Amino acid sequence: MSDKQSDGPRATGGRAPDVFTPGGWVPMRSHEDSEEVDFVIVGTGAGGGTLACKLAESGFSVVAMDAGPYWRPLEDFASDETEQQKLYWTDERIVDGENPIAMGSNNSGKSVGGSTVHFAMVSLRMRPEHFATRSKLGYGVDWPIGWEEMWRYYAEVEQALKIAGPVRYPWGPKRGRYPMRAHPMNAAANYLARGAEALGVDWTQTPVATLSAPHGKAHPCVYRGFCAIGCSTNAKQSVLVSWLPRALKAGAEIRDLAMVGRIETVNGRCTGVHYHREGEWHFQRARNVVVAGYAIETPRLLLNSANAEFPDGLANSSGLVGRNLMVQLNQAAWGHVEDDVRSYKGPPSLAVCEHWNYEDRGKDYAGGWSYMSQGPLPISWAKTLAGGRGLWGQALIDEMARNNHTVGLKMVGEVLPDARNRVTLTDETDQYGLRIPRITFAYSDNDRAMMAHATDFMDRSLEATGATDRWKEMGDTAHLNGTARMGHDRRTSVVDADCRSWDIPNLWVCDGSVFPTVGGVNPSLTIQAIACRTADRIRTMAAQGEL
Amino acid sequence: MAASHADIVATRLIAGGAAALAFSVFADSGLEHYRGSFANPTMVLPIGSAVLGLTMNGRRSAKPESSGSEVPTISHVGSAAIGVIGLGFHAYNILKRPGGASFNNLFYGAPAGAPATLILSGMLGGIADRMAKGEETIATLGLRSGRMVAGVVSIGILGSVAEAGLLHFRGAYHDPFMWLPVTLPPVAALSLARDVVSDEAHSITTGLLAATAALGLIGVGFHAYGVARNMGGFRNWRQNILAGPPLPAPPAFTGLAIAGLGALLLMKKGSRRG
Repeated sequence: MSDKQSDGPRATGGRAPDVFTPGGWVPMRSHEDSEEVDFVIVGTGAGGGTLACKLAESGFSVVAMDAGPYWRPLEDFASDETEQQKLYWTDERIVDGENPIAMGSNNSGKSVGGSTVHFAMVSLRMRPEHFATRSKLGYGVDWPIGWEEMWRYYAEVEQALKIAGPVRYPWGPKRGRYPMRAHPMNAAANYLARGAEALGVDWTQTPVATLSAPHGKAHPCVYRGFCAIGCSTNAKQSVLVSWLPRALKAGAEIRDLAMVGRIETVNGRCTGVHYHREGEWHFQRARNVVVAGYAIETPRLLLNSANAEFPDGLANSSGLVGRNLMVQLNQAAWGHVEDDVRSYKGPPSLAVCEHWNYEDRGKDYAGGWSYMSQGPLPISWAKTLAGGRGLWGQALIDEMARNNHTVGLKMVGEVLPDARNRVTLTDETDQYGLRIPRITFAYSDNDRAMMAHATDFMDRSLEATGATDRWKEMGDTAHLNGTARMGHDRRTSVVDADCRSWDIPNLWVCDGSVFPTVGGVNPSLTIQAIACRTADRIRTMAAQGEL
Repeated sequence: MAASHADIVATRLIAGGAAALAFSVFADSGLEHYRGSFANPTMVLPIGSAVLGLTMNGRRSAKPESSGSEVPTISHVGSAAIGVIGLGFHAYNILKRPGGASFNNLFYGAPAGAPATLILSGMLGGIADRMAKGEETIATLGLRSGRMVAGVVSIGILGSVAEAGLLHFRGAYHDPFMWLPVTLPPVAALSLARDVVSDEAHSITTGLLAATAALGLIGVGFHAYGVARNMGGFRNWRQNILAGPPLPAPPAFTGLAIAGLGALLLMKKGSRRG
């Protein structure tokens, strides 16, 4: 095919790839670099892609840039883990600290649509108290947004993504009916359910962003199980196939393979962004700049944009840009069972237990966690066995041969904000000549106590279902949040509740970086909810002349 | 007593309805039990029973006089018995899953009410058979007033509505036409039930049953569209006919409604006589 992504950008010349048609195109409004657009958005993932759609639908002129390619999943995605590495952000980064974070598949994407192109589709709401952990639970820091408002935006996102969830959700305040019904449970999910019932805690079907009925041009899920390396049927409601087609229809321009390197400021306001595309640097003028590059690239861009006006980087008068990096604990318990489980069938996490997000008693640590059934693909599983369990040679081969009988449970646990966990810049530069980020991370004693409790509980759940040869995977992390936190006070946060920077009124941050705390659930739904709220606030402020 | 023209037509309609139900069971349980890989050998029983029922009822519909053979009776009693056993198996299939009688298990386990279609086919076939033999009653219930058949049909339609309602809820009523089988047939069933109670056939019931019969056929078209909306459409028919909405399910409404029209005919004759 002549239309390979390696040939260069696809979204050019007034058209963008039609994700629903092999080789297809949809018209796209285009802007000149010299045209001052209302918003240039850096990143098209859960934050930027959602915001681009909502702002365009509100009538603003929008250019959204992404460093990654613009895929057509129906023709570009293979059922092959190695090929699909192309979805991950694997540019050079330096990781250090006591517990260096493994970067790539579990936490960063480089595609139009961002990491949602390969996320596991788990779409959970944060517990209400987790938006105010300081005042309600005595740890962390409060969000500047109330839970009732966030839960209203959750409902909007769930509706947009046609989330397939259970008829009754066992935890938290009453929520509306999910737009689609939950999927059938696979055998791995049944093991979570049986274990939870044996231990006397609730469980339910995981609300997931993959269709259980047709929606528009997207087919219902066919349970291939390759979700985490990119869905080739479009059942998965990634930003690429959900918000972005809407954004294009509403007049947004999306530029793929466009790496933003620096934000320009004049007299304390942003004037546009310098971006690298087709081998050259360009400058796009804009009235507002939104940074939505996720928790590594967002602080990196803000810090790389330091200039004479803002020598410490943009939006950084608090000194907090890059600080309070939070991963989520992703430890697991695994075991063997008699029957054929084939856990890789269907979406990987079809059952969930949020008991320990909502139960505060019986813990010797602060924070919450959930756990889900697992369905690793073979290469990923071999890496877990080799890296996480230290198997090699014949032992590894023997264990891989028992793959169909393996069951596992994996946590998503709340890491507390700590200013020492941070993103800074090194002096090394990358292929664009931009300074690469240094990512420094260490677990706290609180994190370790949570891991111990969670892995023990998950192990007991597996034991209760008769699993043998059990072991605990202690090394993994997932998701990245918190390096440009939102807050009430400009001295202790980077942006306000509207994601607007305290220092530069036309600079915004809209992605997982703004999370003050992360809760014990996967962050994508919350990021999209924040983006929807931010768009509403921008529209209101624009109407009141406050932009 | 010599059979009147109305009796003969009614017998044809009731047997025809039973045949349509048997066909629906044959095709639906055939597909679904194939999908379930005939994990339990008894899963072939409804298919065999439905084929026999289809033959018996088809012949009865074509020739509404009995030769006195007991084979049809064996077939109809067998259908009903296998249907009852099937209800038990399906309930077990649902209840053994984690969560028990939860929505998700009702959605994806063996369909709780489906075997009842075989019972209905057996009952209607049995009634048509007795009528063909010139019998006036089953137990103490009068056959020729049409009220018994109408009662069976009314309950049967409501059961099918419950099944369609549950499974269309599973599909999140993503297409507005999915509301049709849970709105029109219940009205027809209630109108028919009113006629049973008042022992008077209203012409509105005839219209509603005719519409329900048509809906069952139109439903096949909608379900075919639903199959086409799955990945690969009909090019991938071997997967999508199993994964998509069941093509043979909607004609169960047609079968019941046809038998209901037969019942109405008997009731009208009764009121003319009175």
